[in-house]
Amino acid sequence: MQDTTSSGAPDRHGAVDLLGVSRRFGDTLAVDALELHVEPGEFLSLLGPSGCGKTTTLRLIAGFEQPDAGEVRISGRPVTGLPPYRRDVNTVFQAYALFPHLSVAENVAYGLQQKRVGRTEVRERVADALSMVQMREHADRKPTKLSGGQQQRVALARALVNRPSVLLLDEPLGALDRQLREEMQLELKLLQERLGTTFVFVTHDQGEALAMSDRVAVMRAGRIEQLDAPRAIYDAPASAYVAAFVGQQNFLDAHTAIRPEAIAIGADPMPGEKAAGTVLAIAHLGEVTQFLVGLADDRRLLVRRPSRDAPELGLGRAVHCAWDEADLLHFADGAGAAIPAPLLDTATAP
Amino acid sequence: MRARPGFLLALPAWLWLVVFFVVPVLQVVWFSFGRKPGIFGTHDNSVLTLDRYAEALDPTFGTVFLNTLWIGVAGTALCALIGIPTAYWMAVKAKPQWRGLLIALVMIPYWTNFLVRTIGWQVVLAPEGWLSTALGALGILDGPLEVLNTRGAVLFGVVYNYLPLMILPAFVAFDRVDPTLREASRDLGAGRWRTLFRVTLPLAAPGLFAAVILVFIPLMGDYITPSVLGGAAGSMVAQLVAVQFQAGQNWALGSAIAVILILAIVATAALGYALFRLVALPFAAARRVKLGAP
Ligand SMILES: Nc1ncnc2c1ncn2[C@@H]1O[C@H](COP(=O)(O)OP(=O)(O)O)[C@@H](O)[C@H]1O
Ligand SMILES: [Mg+2]
Repeated sequence: MQDTTSSGAPDRHGAVDLLGVSRRFGDTLAVDALELHVEPGEFLSLLGPSGCGKTTTLRLIAGFEQPDAGEVRISGRPVTGLPPYRRDVNTVFQAYALFPHLSVAENVAYGLQQKRVGRTEVRERVADALSMVQMREHADRKPTKLSGGQQQRVALARALVNRPSVLLLDEPLGALDRQLREEMQLELKLLQERLGTTFVFVTHDQGEALAMSDRVAVMRAGRIEQLDAPRAIYDAPASAYVAAFVGQQNFLDAHTAIRPEAIAIGADPMPGEKAAGTVLAIAHLGEVTQFLVGLADDRRLLVRRPSRDAPELGLGRAVHCAWDEADLLHFADGAGAAIPAPLLDTATAP
Repeated sequence: MRARPGFLLALPAWLWLVVFFVVPVLQVVWFSFGRKPGIFGTHDNSVLTLDRYAEALDPTFGTVFLNTLWIGVAGTALCALIGIPTAYWMAVKAKPQWRGLLIALVMIPYWTNFLVRTIGWQVVLAPEGWLSTALGALGILDGPLEVLNTRGAVLFGVVYNYLPLMILPAFVAFDRVDPTLREASRDLGAGRWRTLFRVTLPLAAPGLFAAVILVFIPLMGDYITPSVLGGAAGSMVAQLVAVQFQAGQNWALGSAIAVILILAIVATAALGYALFRLVALPFAAARRVKLGAP
């Protein structure tokens, strides 16, 4: 394609810029005047509920969708109007989209063959890419014969073997079971750090986004609600929407919330007490224990304590709760009332 | 031997196949080794002989066989050439909301009877028909249209009659290819044409072969189209078979001709497939990536 120097911004190699990009489907404004600047080598997550426009944003970067307004830049160069095969990005698709009629090695070789890379180099690079994802010994099998996790690795190798300046991943771990997903999160993160490739990662799983990303963009109805480092998103959510989506919140009123782990709980009255009630449910989640407390006015409070120093409280027990005023989160947008009260939704068996 | 419940479940299907396909075909094969006993008999297998095959391969019949083969191959090729791109366009390019309408349009000729619509073309293509008059009036044609009762008219007729039979299964074949595979191909640097040849066509291939076979077999055995449009110059083997069974009352010779037709169909289809594989082989080999054991 074009050479890096002609753009006048060689230092932007691997950057992605969306400048006021919109994409409309009929009456739905899937992406709404979106501004997003992904730094070279960054691991950036697009986080948000289903239908908020994450996939469409990714497809606009990949070239599968063209914006109705605005401009897309990759490595500092405008790519608006360019088809996917002329863009220096590769995608890991949600359902992997491996070619069923080709072997694992042929799947991985596909992109290199399109670029007319020589046979020997193709073999070497395919072998390297497969080794990188620990799939070297499955090279000659058909993808349909592989497990979900293995297919996921092949899809990753098939994209990365092309050495794109940006890798786009659309909920790549969504189809995996929990344990495998957590392993893959770590592997992906390490891989990204080693390669230095820019990753734009789409997920609706806030834990995943916070664990892996350098920065997280929380999306809402085609726009970015907050873009920040994971810690900042968690500690200082810019709106009630972000606060509710990232981790659980106890909304005390429409504009004020407190995180479950910021609440102290005990059987005896305590100084600075803010609420009293009875224990409705207890969930032991390994490192943490969650209590659902029913207050006198029928509201509920979710309390999360480290299991090591969680008090021994039985069901139906009268309890007292306290928190520090400084831990309260205040929001101007006041969407709190519209957000479902936190329940023990993650609470399964002990 | 292991228990095979699958075989038991398939038993009704096997029975159906045996009763309604294998038995009649075997009967035809059996008749083909017999003879016509006299003026009033239709078949006699008391003496088994290959003489009917010698008769069937007589040069007078031979030209009809060649005619049939020509129309069968050219007609199927034309159907494929027109039908497969059409089906591709319908399944891949056309807006999904138009699909129902497009499929209905393809099927419209099927709402009228095969014979009736072929006779319709006879009326149109006749030297005194409106097409002839119109072309004459426009000065495109000097004198009446002379296509009726030629091989060309039969070819036109079979393409018209069998095209939907090509389009519909080919449409299903293309429709079943996951669109995200095409996106993956484009994402990996392949343009439209390379995506077509490396992803869409290979994945649709089994369905496309089925479509070609589905057209080729009945087309080779077509009786109505050549009877209505072909005249003497455009006659096909099925007409010979019918003449022997009906007017000639010679079931033995009719059977021998039918058996040769069946063998010709199978041989041509096999040859076509082998040729296709031969042409595709070097392309497939160039793309193969075999890493072997690490
Ligand atoms: N091809 C399309 N045609 C019509 N509507 C679409 C199309 N793609 C996405 N949408 C709509 O755009 C919105 C955003 O979709 P999407 O980007 O897939 O969200 P997400 O990936 O965050 O779940 C949704 O309301 C969806 O229904
Ligand atoms: Mg999505």
